[in-house]
Amino acid sequence: MSEAGDNKRSVGRSILSLMLLGPFLMAVLYPFLWMMFGIFKTNREFYQPLKFWPMKAFDGEYWSSIASTFFPNEYSWQNISELLDGKWVPFWAVFGNSLMVSLGQAFGAVTLSAMAGYAFARFTFSGKRLLFVLAVALILVPRQLFAVPLFSWVNELGLSDSLLGVMLPGVVTGLGVIYFTQVFRQVPEEYLQAARVCGAAELRVFLTLLPLVWPALLSYGMIHFILAWHEHLIPMLVLTSEAKQTLPLALAKLYDVSQRTPQGVQMAASTFAVIPTAVLFAVCHRKFKSSLSDMLVH
Amino acid sequence: MAAANQRTPGARWMPFLILLPFLFFLLLFWVIPLVGGVKMSLQANGLGQAEYVGFAHYKALANDERYATALRNSFVYTLASIVVIVPLALWLAHLLRATFRRLRPLLTFALLLPALTPPSVLAVLFLMVFHGKNGLLNQLFVMPLGIFSEQALGHGLGPVSWLKDPDFILSGLVLQTVWRWTGFMTFFILAGMEGIPRVYYEAARLATGSRWQHFWHVTLPQLRPVLLFVAVYLVVDGFSLFSGAFVLLGGSGGTADAGLLTVTYVFQKMRFFEYGTASAISVSLLPLMTLALWVALFLRRRTA
Repeated sequence: MSEAGDNKRSVGRSILSLMLLGPFLMAVLYPFLWMMFGIFKTNREFYQPLKFWPMKAFDGEYWSSIASTFFPNEYSWQNISELLDGKWVPFWAVFGNSLMVSLGQAFGAVTLSAMAGYAFARFTFSGKRLLFVLAVALILVPRQLFAVPLFSWVNELGLSDSLLGVMLPGVVTGLGVIYFTQVFRQVPEEYLQAARVCGAAELRVFLTLLPLVWPALLSYGMIHFILAWHEHLIPMLVLTSEAKQTLPLALAKLYDVSQRTPQGVQMAASTFAVIPTAVLFAVCHRKFKSSLSDMLVH
Repeated sequence: MAAANQRTPGARWMPFLILLPFLFFLLLFWVIPLVGGVKMSLQANGLGQAEYVGFAHYKALANDERYATALRNSFVYTLASIVVIVPLALWLAHLLRATFRRLRPLLTFALLLPALTPPSVLAVLFLMVFHGKNGLLNQLFVMPLGIFSEQALGHGLGPVSWLKDPDFILSGLVLQTVWRWTGFMTFFILAGMEGIPRVYYEAARLATGSRWQHFWHVTLPQLRPVLLFVAVYLVVDGFSLFSGAFVLLGGSGGTADAGLLTVTYVFQKMRFFEYGTASAISVSLLPLMTLALWVALFLRRRTA
């Protein structure tokens, strides 16, 4: 087969694949578009259902009526400014809390798991197997299942209604330990030997390795940030005062029917809740994927 | 590795020193609450009750029909989500690899969007998809099917009330999970596929065989670790995640408990301060989770 023929076939395949992907992309993106256009809608517009049936594919009026229900009648910033001005929830404070908790938790989790992973990957010591199994068991027992005893324990530690009480319980993660054990196993032995020959102490050896594995550190930090950003149950139990709330709690409050928050404001808050994780992922995407590719197959 | 231990006499406790911060937090925020949970499951219900009742809560669970329903539903829900998500994600990853290279990051990102969205937002977006007669699911899938069956078979299908009809509640919940996680798993599988050394395919091409055979004999075995990870993740998530079912069904089990999942049941017990029972349910899930992991590890070892 000639080079050109091969190319042509692969263009055809590319287009076909894209077409097959189309419906899935629509199913994923449609609700998000609806959410973003929802910011500018009045409650009345918002609850207007799209009427697809009976379908009149060649009727311009049919399409324009669908478009007019899907798109808002006018674009005004009122809902966004109401949200940001804190008319419904102290939005900036809540956003800041979420950011602080998630960043802190991600940083703590990366630090602890990387150290533990290094110890598991690079040393033999008694009790190693047992401890490693314990770390695996961590994955299997989600904190959510033991929320009540965790909550009462956090209270006893004097961390109730503090951001630390939400941040700290999340820093132990089985997934992270296993991930970093795998990462440090793949660091060639020569690097370690070189560092040790230079007379570096074990802790220094660990620190000199960090720049080498930074894509892995970044990747895990990102995953953990996303998980922390989504956490709902633990903050719900620990945080009581309004000024200390995190984003999922504020969202739940906005969604609550009895609050009568305009739908547009709800959608604005939802959109803002997605933006940080989406941006973070978009930025780290490439590093994350290549570090996964290196690891998953081995 | 062994060299590190022999280097200096003090190096014996070095690994423990490095592990110390992790172990400290493990004890503080995992072991202690876990033990607290087990203890709570042996105590009488109610706040601040310290009276031990032995295994009474567990015995009560053994005869509790709702507990059996919740377990069965969670099991079906988890299994169904794995059965749908894994092949779908494999296919999507394949399509992403086959399509234009330039578009790949953008398309992957779009598919991943639901996994980046907080579960409460997802549930609200999903409510719209399900909501009653005018929901998107009915408009785009059920209604065309209905029109088709009316013309072909002579009797139509009404719109499905996804969140009220006991026959469909569980499928609705599964659909939500599929919508949420498929893109994420596609991403993992894609990363796994890109890590497979090209040489394997070149060797396979020499041995001829169809694309399908390449997939079956090269891609799939190589992806085993990834697929195991995906399955374990979905099992844990299926048995523990509560936001989705909670927002969609308002914390109830839905009509005739058709959508009652274990975590929802735990939450219901907690709401009435039956902490003993709630903890007993949580503890009773541990052997199940362990079994799931054991199966996964066993499969992994066998393939290695």
